[in-house]
Formats: sequence, structure tokens, C-alpha cells
Amino acid sequence: MKYELVAGLETHIELSTKTKIFCGCTTEFGSEPNTHCCPICTGMPGTLPKLNRAVVNFAIKAGLATHCEIAPVAKMDRKNYVYPDLPKAYQISEFDKPLCQNGYIELESGRRIRITRIHIEEDAGKLVHQRGDTYVDYNRGGVPLIEVVTEPDIRSIDEAREYVEKLQLIMKYIGVSDCKMQEGSLRCDVNVSVRPEGSEKLGTRAEIKNMNSFTFMTKAMQYEFDRQVDLVESGEQVVQETRRFDDATGTTEGMRSKEDAQDYRYFREPDLVSIVTTPEQVEELRGQLPELPDAKYARYVGEYGLPPADASLLVKYRRVAEFFDEAANGLQTPKTVANLILGQIFRRMPTDEEKEACNLLISAGMLRELALLLESGKMKMNLAKSTLDTMLDTGKPVGELVSEGDLAGVDEDALYKICAEMVAANPNAVADYRAGKEKAVKALIGGVMKATKGKADATQAEAILIELIHKA
Amino acid sequence: MVTREEIKNIALLSKLYVPEEELDTLTKDMQGIIAFADTIQAADVGDTGFDNINNLSNVFREDVVVPSYDRDLILKNVEGGEDGCFLVRKRG
Repeated sequence: MKYELVAGLETHIELSTKTKIFCGCTTEFGSEPNTHCCPICTGMPGTLPKLNRAVVNFAIKAGLATHCEIAPVAKMDRKNYVYPDLPKAYQISEFDKPLCQNGYIELESGRRIRITRIHIEEDAGKLVHQRGDTYVDYNRGGVPLIEVVTEPDIRSIDEAREYVEKLQLIMKYIGVSDCKMQEGSLRCDVNVSVRPEGSEKLGTRAEIKNMNSFTFMTKAMQYEFDRQVDLVESGEQVVQETRRFDDATGTTEGMRSKEDAQDYRYFREPDLVSIVTTPEQVEELRGQLPELPDAKYARYVGEYGLPPADASLLVKYRRVAEFFDEAANGLQTPKTVANLILGQIFRRMPTDEEKEACNLLISAGMLRELALLLESGKMKMNLAKSTLDTMLDTGKPVGELVSEGDLAGVDEDALYKICAEMVAANPNAVADYRAGKEKAVKALIGGVMKATKGKADATQAEAILIELIHKA
Repeated sequence: MVTREEIKNIALLSKLYVPEEELDTLTKDMQGIIAFADTIQAADVGDTGFDNINNLSNVFREDVVVPSYDRDLILKNVEGGEDGCFLVRKRG
């Protein structure tokens, strides 16, 4: 029998507010333990939480960007559990009245992954276990989180990955989180169950906690799918439980079963009033949202005529997309700008982090000036490319690097002369070409471009070179 | 109806030790409390929502960093303090 994977995701995203959710301590990452703490975030008796306005606004923005309804009245609740990472012995979260509900994220296939809810809560502290003792650092305690919960709509590991990537990109676009999985600012819990293909009934699910990389998530889901299929095939039952993924063995293991599941004894947080949001406030926040990734992609493909793969690459990095938008604004051929970015400029930013940061010496306006020269035919592509390289090295605008004379290119007689010299000086390349190695002519073109400082038209040079080789 | 088993579970969750001989009395007391709550529950209040009964509007804090406490002060009354951390000892 063939089996189908059914999965739902709970994603915790750390919000990039300046301060914690209930106190004014900084949320900065990577400092000495317990230096970003105060009586409130260390749970000292008698302290009272003060809700950070930015947390509510960020969460509402996250909801709006994922098509959620925003609750006119939301409230916060205490989730009780005893563990050293939580100094109050309860986490302030939202139980039955979350800020956002009923949204979705649409995958490329057109399938929608429904979002049940998005709620706000505080993060716990960090525990370091050593020789049986536990050392606690509360710097992360009280850092604001949103938890995004989906319906069990995910049907494959690829869909899970695409969903998380889309969610991550949307959150980065709207500026509510940097979503760095390696720093733990985005973590996923995955609920996995299996059922015979074609069946409508949901199987018993197991929850795998705290996936903090795509590799872990993929491995854990695959292992869990296989494990559950094996159980079902051999007539055994899948137990509803929480499981931990062990990267060393590539397997998941049970942490706690449903029977001893925690009873969190949720009740309303009496120290905080309800969160009332008016339609006007919602609209104001909606107005602050930038163009979202899907809309940008549709515009690049639809209006600009970019190939889908190119459009995806530009959209994938928010700063790159903004740079492109500014540089291509109003141009006849945005595609030229896209090509320069995806070629010349991307070559200088090989890693994802570099593309993410998009730190360049030139401004988008400077790239636009160059593109305008190309568009008007005043500048040939090869000169544009070498000029762009110099611009990227020096940060100088095109006007300082290229004179009118350069733009005029090389006249045909002069080019003919240079090509003739190249042919005469490189008998080996010429012989290779005659022997059928067509690529040999590229070396000669390279020589011509060098001799003309990139001003020659490469296509024209190639035609002349081939003509000369045949004549000689 | 509150059962003896539920009382045992609540005690466990609350990390309270309840001697066996007190269980019956506690169960009876708790049943009384719940019965009282049921009386209130029965009151007809129409479809009034209780989410914002006081009509209090939000009191927000602006997202402005204030200096955190000195670490020595935060760790003053705790055991440990090694490497600037709270220490939770292994039990037993």
C-alpha cells in the first residue's frame, strides 16, 4: 500500500523588537550571560509585566501578511509549567484568544497551507547542562516570539520546506524578524502522521520538537514517516507523543507520551488588560506593509518579463529586490538590470548572507545610470560589464569612469588593425581554430578586448577575427 | 464532580504532598468549591463577552531600551553565580 504524509507546523519566530516583551531590557543576541536582565524578566516576586506596543504591532503585521483575521479583542494567558528556563514557573502566552486567526500561505503549486493562528508569547531562558548541574542564562528570557500554527495541510517534506521558506521570507520582508535558524530566531515543531493514500481520515500524530535547520527538518520528517509506515504495516499503533530528533543518529526518540502530557492549567493573565485593536489601527498597520514577495514575483514575471527563475532569485533577498526595483524603475528594459545584478553583482556576493546584506559601494541610482546608457545604445554590453566591475571596486559613478570617447567605441578600421595584430601574434590559437577548436577564437577576442580596454564590440571583433583567420 | 484521582493529580501538578488520609476530606472540600462555582455559572448573563469586561484600554510600553540591572545585583540572592549564571543543582 502507498502512504501519504500529513503534517502541520508550529513555527516560533523571534521578533526583532529592540526590547523584551514585558520589560525594557534589550533583546540583543550574544552577550555575557544574565547581563540583559531585570527583576521582571527574571521573575522576581511582586514585579508586573508591561506589554511592549511593538510586539503587538509586529504580530498584527505578521497576521496581515499571511491573510489572517485580526482579533478586535485578544488576551494573554499563563501557561504553567515548572522548569528552570522559566523563572516565574509560567509562560505568558495566548491560549483561546490569539491576536491573529484563519490565514494562509500559498505554495507555488497553488495549494494553500492554512494558518490556524498566530499568537504572541515570551521566550524562555537558555540552559547549559554541565556535570549534572544546570546553568541558567535569562538573557533570552522574555524575548518576544510569535508562534505560527498551521492546519495539517502539508503533504510532503518539500511542501514543509517551501512553507517555512515562504514564511521566513514574508517575515523578513515586513521586517518583524531576521528569521535566522542558526541563531534560533526561527524554530519549528512538526506534527507528522501517515495515512493510506486516498484516505480522508487523519492518522495518529507524533510531534517532533525544535527543528532549527532545514536539514534537520527534512531528515526528521523522513525518519518519522518511515517509522510510522513501518508501524502501520506491521499492524501496530502509532502512539500520540512528543519526540526529539537526534542528529547524531538521524532518528527520533520519544520524550513524553499523551498519558503524561503536561497539563498547563492555562488561565487569564490577571496582570494584563485585553488587547483591543480597532479596524483603523489594523488599516494603519496594513498601510505600512511593503510589497510582499509573491506580489513582487508576479510583477517581475508579468510586467518586466523576467524568466521565473531570475525573478525568484531577485525576490529571495529583500535588499537585492529593493536595489533592483530602484535601479530598474522606469527603464524600458528592466531585464538588462536584472542580468547585471544576477551576473556581475551576484558574483561578488557568493554567500546567502552577503546577498541578504547586499552591501555595495554603488547606489541603485548609479546602476540605473549605467543601464540607461546601455538602453540608449550609447554603451556596448562588454564596456558596461567592465565599467560595472570598476564601479563596484571603486564606488565611482559611470560618469567619472567612462568618457565620451570611450562611449564612441572603437572604429572599424582601428579594430581591424588590432584584430590583424592578434592573429599574427597568436599562431597557436589560429592553428587550433583551424583544427576545429572553435573556442580558440575566444582567447583572441579576450586579447582584443584587453587591447581596447573593453571598448570594442565583442561580436564585431569575433566576426573580424574569424574573417582574418579564414583569409590568412 | 471532583474525584479522588483528580485531587491526586492536581496535587502532583502543584508539587504538593497530600497524605493519603487527607484525600477524602480534600475531595469533599473541593467538591463544595466547584458546586459554588456551578451556582455562579448558572446565572443568566445573556451573551455578554467576558474578554474585556472592565472596558480597559491597552496600556502599552514603548519599545525603548532601558539599562538592565547590574548582574551582581540580579545574582545576589541565588546560589551559584559561577560564570554569571544561575545554578540549578542536580537533585539527589
